Amino acid sequence: MTDPSQTPSTPPRKGPSKLARREERTAAWLLVPSLVIILLIAIYPLGQVFFESFREREFASSEPGRFVGLQNYQQLLSMTIRELPLELDANGQPVIEDGELQYESWVRVLPREPMRYRAVTEFGLFGNRYVLGATESDFILAVWDTLVFTVVAVFWETVLGMIIALALTARFFGRGAMRAAMLVPWAVITAVSARIWEWMLQPTRAGLFNTVGSALGISDGRTNFFGDVALQLPSMIVMDVWKTTPFMALLLLAGLSTIPKELYEAARVDGANPIRQYFSITLPLLAPTLVVALIFRTLDSLRVFDIFQVVLGNQRYSMASYAQSMLINVRDVGLSSAASVIIFVLIFAFAVGYIRAFGVNQE
Amino acid sequence: MKKAVIAFALVTALGWGSAQTITVASGTVGQELELTTNAVERYRELNPGVDVQIATTGDLVEDRLGYYLQVFEAQSDEIDVLQIDVIWPGDLEEHLVDLNQYGAEAVADQHFDAIIENNTVDGKLLGIPWFTDAGLLYYRTDLLEKYGFDGPPATWTELTSMAETIQEGERAEGNQDFWGFVWQGNAYEGLTCDALEWLDSNNAGTIISPDGVITVNNDAAVATLELAASWVGTISPNGVTNFAEEDARNMWQAGNAAFMRNWPYAYSLGNAEDSAIAGQFDVSPLPAGEGGAPAATLGGWQLGVSKYSDDVAGAADLALFLASYEEQKIRAIEGSLNPTIKALYEDEDVLAANPFFGSLFDVFTNATARPSTATAPNYSAVSRAFYTSVHSVLTGQEDADVALEILELDLEALTGFPTGDPQ
Repeated sequence: MTDPSQTPSTPPRKGPSKLARREERTAAWLLVPSLVIILLIAIYPLGQVFFESFREREFASSEPGRFVGLQNYQQLLSMTIRELPLELDANGQPVIEDGELQYESWVRVLPREPMRYRAVTEFGLFGNRYVLGATESDFILAVWDTLVFTVVAVFWETVLGMIIALALTARFFGRGAMRAAMLVPWAVITAVSARIWEWMLQPTRAGLFNTVGSALGISDGRTNFFGDVALQLPSMIVMDVWKTTPFMALLLLAGLSTIPKELYEAARVDGANPIRQYFSITLPLLAPTLVVALIFRTLDSLRVFDIFQVVLGNQRYSMASYAQSMLINVRDVGLSSAASVIIFVLIFAFAVGYIRAFGVNQE
Repeated sequence: MKKAVIAFALVTALGWGSAQTITVASGTVGQELELTTNAVERYRELNPGVDVQIATTGDLVEDRLGYYLQVFEAQSDEIDVLQIDVIWPGDLEEHLVDLNQYGAEAVADQHFDAIIENNTVDGKLLGIPWFTDAGLLYYRTDLLEKYGFDGPPATWTELTSMAETIQEGERAEGNQDFWGFVWQGNAYEGLTCDALEWLDSNNAGTIISPDGVITVNNDAAVATLELAASWVGTISPNGVTNFAEEDARNMWQAGNAAFMRNWPYAYSLGNAEDSAIAGQFDVSPLPAGEGGAPAATLGGWQLGVSKYSDDVAGAADLALFLASYEEQKIRAIEGSLNPTIKALYEDEDVLAANPFFGSLFDVFTNATARPSTATAPNYSAVSRAFYTSVHSVLTGQEDADVALEILELDLEALTGFPTGDPQ
């Protein structure tokens, strides 16, 4: 016997109501445009880069490319370590210059077949001298330089950003103006600010730093900030810290404003000094904001392109400017795409690492 | 207001590449943009129905090529007429139109044969010559006189010692920012040009010979690069390893250098009203090495038409107009840009504005070509390997002999050519 109340038209009690199902369908339809856009502007190009990274093709050429498997990755990532023999003179005795033993050049030591290796760096260990070789030494150097750049720049941005944010939470005359002024470096287009810094860091006294330095007697007015290998990375880092500290400060400032004032009042009543207050209240409550800010800045720094491209051009690369140079100067789509994929993977690893390490709330 | 309108028009033209406009991509070094803008204005007056826009390109050759390649890869009609370097016809062949089919055949024989030949690939004329270039030595006549020199240096060693003397003297008189010799030392195509002049004038070959032999690793080349590296920080600023054409010209034109290696365009700018050294300098062929002859790298720019243009015939017409006798004459007089039309070197107005066009005629006609024909379509990669290697010697990261040994291996891998000694 059928119960009249259980006719097919009545929905089962536990399932979603007809209305709810209709709303779900509507929601799905409303999501379609966003999904299509993501598919078009994110997934498609990403997929194409992956696809090209397994092929060999000349940029801007009608010649069809060909599939080469993992060859591009192999070329980018192959590394080896060899010991450098001592340089011997005609009598078989070691050559000594300025009281130091001389070693053979890496050109004669690193393998040439089936792929040629070039030196990335040389180092001494237990009295021997070794060379680290890579088939694309420029890329390995670019990865290393980018990592150093990221760690040092983000560290200083965080420290300085925190100091500025704390200063700007205090009530004082002209705070609004100060907050606005603080943001100026962040608002300047990077290609423009890179050019400004390029002028300020000129290797002659036409540049601000050399003029001031020589007036104060701390330099000869000829410090070559962008040409001297030892000063290139520090110069890049200073430019980046100047530019992005405001961003860090802004995020932290927003985080600070969410901390209830009552906590500080209570702390004062309990007799906690400002330093204690900072470590017991400010820092723990600011932690989620800080982590988000760190993730933002780290991922951003890892794909740094503009300042390296504008200032150093083909002299020294970041990972991203290396990929660009491979595409434009060498016209090698495959190698450039493979480099881009590696950058993508590295950035992804950093993001996951941060989320794991700081246990960022998934919700 | 007018500027704003032009800027807006430029943006819209770049954004949509509308069918009714012809866009010409022009260089911006020195007065180039101004000259092109004026020429386009004259073309508009003659052809009221045609809208012509100018797209600006970067100062560095690499940036310009990068822009073109992106447009070509997308097969975009964003630019119609392109200013192309003398080294590119081989590399860009498949993207350019044969101008002989659009009326260039009638005027081709007015131009220097060597340039027409350079621009012709498989019988197709890919670019109409616009102006030619050769490396020159600029020197300060007043300073040479002051320090008792009779004339410009004939050899690189002479240049080195003259530069030292003048620099020492000027610094002693209080100009601490004075330098002996400025040139192009950044890691880019310009360094390839400068270094090719050093090599060729020292009988050290031209990197890769026209018949495809890698000759760059030889003793003369090692000695030459060692001499050049010794300039950095002594007679040339440390920062010269970051210099392109305009960096060198700025320092020179401010009166802070005794010698400069640059292209002819710096001549009229150096004599302009706002120049600190107007009337106090002259140009000569670059010095020779010991036992060698002076060498000047052949430069120069052509106008090509993109295959992906909406209006190939219109674009070709504009290109031929810009490279015509009258237009080249104006560019020669106002911008000291060397004409590619032979007859202009006998034109009185041109010679009055640029006396050196007559006296250095041989330099322009006998300039040393970069190995772009022998290495096409890999020239960019060859040049990149070369200037990176030279740059590493200039900055002291690598010894000259080791750097050239590495370079030789690089070039073998890139081209597959055999190695040998320069003839």
